Amino acid sequence: MATEEDSAVKEPLDLIRLSLDERIYVKLRSDRELRGKLHAYDQHLNMILGEVEEVTTSVEIDDETYEEIVRTSRRTVPYLFVRGDGVILVSPPLRTS
Amino acid sequence: MLFFSYFKELVGKEVIVELKNDLAISGILHSVDQYLNIKLENTRVVDDTKYPHMLSVKNCFIRGSVVRYVQLPPDGVDVDILHDATRREARGG
Amino acid sequence: MATDTGLESLIDQTISVITNDGRNIVGVLKGFDQATNLILDESHERVYSTKAGVEQVVLGLHIIRGDNIGVVGELDEELDSNLDLSALRAHPLKAVQH
Repeated sequence: MATEEDSAVKEPLDLIRLSLDERIYVKLRSDRELRGKLHAYDQHLNMILGEVEEVTTSVEIDDETYEEIVRTSRRTVPYLFVRGDGVILVSPPLRTS
Repeated sequence: MLFFSYFKELVGKEVIVELKNDLAISGILHSVDQYLNIKLENTRVVDDTKYPHMLSVKNCFIRGSVVRYVQLPPDGVDVDILHDATRREARGG
Repeated sequence: MATDTGLESLIDQTISVITNDGRNIVGVLKGFDQATNLILDESHERVYSTKAGVEQVVLGLHIIRGDNIGVVGELDEELDSNLDLSALRAHPLKAVQH
């Protein structure tokens, strides 16, 4: 189906184009990760994701033992616009899952 | 231009704008500009017990650069239109 | 091209600004430009604390650089006069983490 022009990967954003309508992984600043279906993006890596799961990780120091306690919290959002300036990396669909 | 056009279509719908200072503001999208600065009407801070800083604000302007996420209403997302617009933009259109 | 996102409608109105370093400044909007630089008159800062009520620090005439602005809110005078600032307890807002 795909023509040569559609499937050629010449620059990084081409790889993201091939992930349209697929579930992708996005790592963001401030220890946030998203998994969701890619519905739109632009050259800034602004995106719209669907059926999004967000995982945020925070580290707290226990007052008494001074041990680091790593907490992760999860939530899901039906549709999310993500501003591109917070994006660290985008990974195409995981073939393993 | 893709997201500027998209948000213009969304005017009048309810969104939740999450900022990079962890504040989440819900409201009716009133307008947007090319920087993706956003104006909201009938606003409410989602957790206004923890964040009472905007209790007397009902309309606000949010600078695009401080936006982390915008939660979109499901009836404001047409995935086929978004896919087409994205492919067109990717081709440099 | 741009829709009505300017701040014209807020000129001479009392506004509440949230800056990127987490401060809250209230004043009368006297001017602004494309970069969201603002001129505020009769302004004061509202300092939030969990140990005491909101402290108001007089600033007077101020220019705030657009790069440091997060939110510009139109202050509803009636809602604001019904707020008991001396009874409000809250952490100061976090700084914007770009």
